[in-house]
Amino acid sequence: MARRTAALPLRDRIGSITSGTLAWIYAALLIVPFYYFIVSSFKDNEQIFESPLALPTTWDLSNFTTAIDQADLWLAVANSVLTTLFALLLTLVLALPASFALARARGRAGKVVEGVFALGFLIPSFAALFPTFLLAAALGLFHTRTFVVFLLPATALPLSVVILTSFMRTIPRELEEAASMDGATSLQVLRQVYLPICIPGIATVLLLNFLSFWNAYLYPLILIGPDTAQRTIQVALPTLKVDAGTDYGVLMAGTLFTLLPVYLVYTLLQRQMQRALLSGAVKG
Amino acid sequence: MTHDVSRRAVLKAAIGGGIVTPLLASCGALVPASDGPGSISVHTQLSGAVAGAQVFADVVAAYQRRTGRTVAQLKNGSDLPIVFETSTLAGKEADVAIVNMMGRTLGWTGAGATIPVTGLLDDWGLRDKIVPEALEEWTDGEGRLRAFPFTRTNWPVSFNTGLLEEAGVEIPTTSDELIAVADALRSRGIGPVTVGGSDWSGQKLFLQILQGFVSQEEARRVFSTGRLSESAGAVAGVEHFVELRDAGVFVDDVQGYTSDSELTQFNTRKAAIVPAMSSALALVPAERAKEVAVGGWPVPSSGGVLDRPSVIKSYNGHGIWISENGAEKLDLIKPFVQDLFSDAVTDAFILGSGRDMNRVTDTVSTDFPLVAQASRLTDDDVTPVMLPDLLIPDSVFEPMIKVTAMAYGSSASAERIVDAFEKSYDAA
Repeated sequence: MARRTAALPLRDRIGSITSGTLAWIYAALLIVPFYYFIVSSFKDNEQIFESPLALPTTWDLSNFTTAIDQADLWLAVANSVLTTLFALLLTLVLALPASFALARARGRAGKVVEGVFALGFLIPSFAALFPTFLLAAALGLFHTRTFVVFLLPATALPLSVVILTSFMRTIPRELEEAASMDGATSLQVLRQVYLPICIPGIATVLLLNFLSFWNAYLYPLILIGPDTAQRTIQVALPTLKVDAGTDYGVLMAGTLFTLLPVYLVYTLLQRQMQRALLSGAVKG
Repeated sequence: MTHDVSRRAVLKAAIGGGIVTPLLASCGALVPASDGPGSISVHTQLSGAVAGAQVFADVVAAYQRRTGRTVAQLKNGSDLPIVFETSTLAGKEADVAIVNMMGRTLGWTGAGATIPVTGLLDDWGLRDKIVPEALEEWTDGEGRLRAFPFTRTNWPVSFNTGLLEEAGVEIPTTSDELIAVADALRSRGIGPVTVGGSDWSGQKLFLQILQGFVSQEEARRVFSTGRLSESAGAVAGVEHFVELRDAGVFVDDVQGYTSDSELTQFNTRKAAIVPAMSSALALVPAERAKEVAVGGWPVPSSGGVLDRPSVIKSYNGHGIWISENGAEKLDLIKPFVQDLFSDAVTDAFILGSGRDMNRVTDTVSTDFPLVAQASRLTDDDVTPVMLPDLLIPDSVFEPMIKVTAMAYGSSASAERIVDAFEKSYDAA
């Protein structure tokens, strides 16, 4: 490897070293806060402020148990998992057939419908809060997880449909025609031809929407409400912060409960997402 | 093929449904709080990491065990008012709200979101149990008692005597002494006074310093109208504030600190002096509390109106508000509220969480020495001054905090502060 780098022209070597250095700096920018979170969750305030980056003197889990007790975090995590999973499932159930139809559409109607989906980007989520609240109240679903499970996919559909449609457009029509000649129905073409090829696109949609659903705060706060049996982790977590005298070790421990699922899901889906980005780059 | 797919789809749906439905149904803890007969719902800020949250949870659990009645707890922190208000719009607000009287909540009684409890005070036998001054403070301009005053707060000044000793100084009682103490502390690399310059805690100290130059009656007029320039005393107060700031009394970059970071600075010995409310004093670690003495803000060395160091004294804390929904369940709420004002519950809050209560009581905190010190301060030690929250119009609150944050910055002159302060009232 060293010999290969040495064999490169000077300009390429400088480029390689620069990009490598920048990559490490970027990695450090991500790792240092994560490290800070982890070590702080084992410390008290004095240790956090005296020596922020030092390892904790003990690996005592009391901050975690306190966070769990004070904010009912297990319930909150369970509610976040339920809400996020069902919302993701519903998003895919709606976005996949819609994207499939739009990708195959050749007429003007398809373009109009695609344009309508893209219009969804123009609605600021904050502006939709009050009408959404009225809708929830009118449907009798105010202060329920159910309404948020229906709402989140609605907010995610524009992006999901745009991503999946562009992905599906790259699939050669010949594959679909061959399957049709074998007697496959449209649903079977979607399931057995498009879906396997679209896995990287689906992973991208899942990852982006997972981040958005899991981290949602304002809508769950207002629409799901303060009942500990229903509230999500993003609504529960702020109760660990007080006006004066916050125990930052406990707050960091609680925050890790929200960060770890994000990290896990990203680790699981990142390869597929990179593949999707790469295939777009190559095809582009 | 079509047959096969649909059969598989049906099978998957059946398995999925078979797993998910019992999962959702069997998780009793995930079932929304019951609103059934005999139950009430309580939306409380006494939750999470707030002092007294665990005591409240224990009190509710004991009440439920004793009476067999359900009390569903809904919990929020500072976002409780907005959640309660949107719930009210949908007619799904909790029967009882336990929240402080500040900002948005000041308008609840007038807007009909909560009912006045004036009549219930005698019917439920609570008048003699609550400190009369608290009842007065919680009564609005139209004579309506907004809520039952539950907890209260004092705002003494805490001095880390260990750090003062290291700097070779004593607790200051006048502004000249305070400036000398700040110099001595700075020369030892210790921060003098820390305060949340960017939020309401900095605003409170600013208004407290102003009260060193005006009578309480004049302060009432100034804070309700915002016309600082029409009060010579208020202008002198602002000039005094600027003098203290320019003398380095406050820690560096004080305009960036919050009520939370001020206490953290104090608890970690980065600063020696902090004006903090009594509920925050309950969260000072025992090891730190050993070297802390509680007193008041030093009086102006010249031109002031106070005889002794000042302490903001307030009966404002958490109140027990009854909503429109709750008005339908007064028979269920009555025993619960009476229980909250019982001797046993009052003692549990004072002894178990260091809370100051509006209940008439002789009990003094034992495990929270700073709270106990603060509650022992008499008019011979300090001069009480007002918490002006109830006088400042709701819409002025946030603009005023921006002004006081600007005042803690090093470049703002007294004239500029007075001008910006008056402009913050223009929105009202």
